[in-house]
Amino acid sequence: MTYSHFNRRLHLYLGLALLPWFLMYSISSLPFAHNQFFEQRDAAKGLPLWTLRAERPFDEPVPDSAAGLRALGATLLKEAGIDGTSFGAYRQSPTQINVYSYSFWKSTQLKYFVDQKKVTVEDRRFRWDHFLTGMHARGGFEQDGLLQHSWSVVVDIVSAAMILWVASGLYMWWELPGQRRWGWLAILAGTASFLFFTLRL
Amino acid sequence: MPDRERHAGIDAAVRGEVSRMISKVVRRTHMYLALFVFPWILMYALSTLVMNHRALFVARYGEGPIPFEKERQLVYDGVFPENADLKTISKQILTSVGLDGAHAVSRRKDGTIAINRNDLVTPRRLTYSPADRTLLIEKMQPRPNALLERFHRRRGYATGYGLDTVWAISVDLVIIAMVFWVLSGLWMWWEMKVTRGLGLAAFLCGAGVFVLFLLTL
Repeated sequence: MTYSHFNRRLHLYLGLALLPWFLMYSISSLPFAHNQFFEQRDAAKGLPLWTLRAERPFDEPVPDSAAGLRALGATLLKEAGIDGTSFGAYRQSPTQINVYSYSFWKSTQLKYFVDQKKVTVEDRRFRWDHFLTGMHARGGFEQDGLLQHSWSVVVDIVSAAMILWVASGLYMWWELPGQRRWGWLAILAGTASFLFFTLRL
Repeated sequence: MPDRERHAGIDAAVRGEVSRMISKVVRRTHMYLALFVFPWILMYALSTLVMNHRALFVARYGEGPIPFEKERQLVYDGVFPENADLKTISKQILTSVGLDGAHAVSRRKDGTIAINRNDLVTPRRLTYSPADRTLLIEKMQPRPNALLERFHRRRGYATGYGLDTVWAISVDLVIIAMVFWVLSGLWMWWEMKVTRGLGLAAFLCGAGVFVLFLLTL
């Protein structure tokens, strides 16, 4: 097998294996790029985004450190019967801690009102645009769990594959002498446009 | 040769020629589109890597927002129209100092006006104090990871600036290109009979892992 042959096959098979991610990242970019359209469309339905599921008494001291806040978030989720999901704990105000638990299909928000010694549990209504943007934005290695980390590893693989597709694609173009002139034109036009945006935006 | 057989032969030749032509157009579009938008793809790939490993950069630079440093301070002598709203004021100030572009503006409790100019390379914060007419211009400390993240998150349609709208159109073009590469890639793969078996295996592996994540995460 020649290098050229290997390069072509790598470009192809990597593309086929990572096709679901590539398609997901492209389609899910639409709700990000046209956020106002999707928000207006949903607002027209007149449905609340969050629904109160429960309200319970809760009284625990709020730690100062980020790690302590995350541990408090885990306790709050356990109290609410939510286990094994990705989550984040945030200090909304000096008297309010928000814990946001999310999966691709379901999101729940817990609000701990420190001065009132109570916690509310709210479920978010499913929206396809949120499902897509949630999948698009998912990543990082801050969450615990093998599956969570595996997803982030695949995100790295897809990013590396995109760089590889660019490199292998350029190599394949260079192997076609008849396409070099128009290819150069496309490369220069694209690069110049990108540089223009970089310097002027 | 009977007429029917001759016509069938011509039809097959025409079909073959049309098929080859479509194939060529698909291949060339796949390639030239990629050659044009590859800077965007590289930027999205690198910025995704950076965001996926944000913890590394937090460890390097520390938590919290990126600090601003003073660039210059001046007395602003401009006069605003009567009852001018914040957007009018911010646009006038930015134009006066040669920094007009996408921005956000707010009035603080002490009456000062804070303008965040969303410059891609060097974001700036302008603070105008109506009491003594001073204008403080600060620039954000440069960090490569933050630059890539700003690129990745940049939207354009709502800013009211033409250049931002053109950027937003370019992002839409990248989205269309990505969908096209998927479809044209499938077409090209199917045309190469020798790669069908391994290609199908690669596709099924990827799709299987994706569905597994979809059901469990």
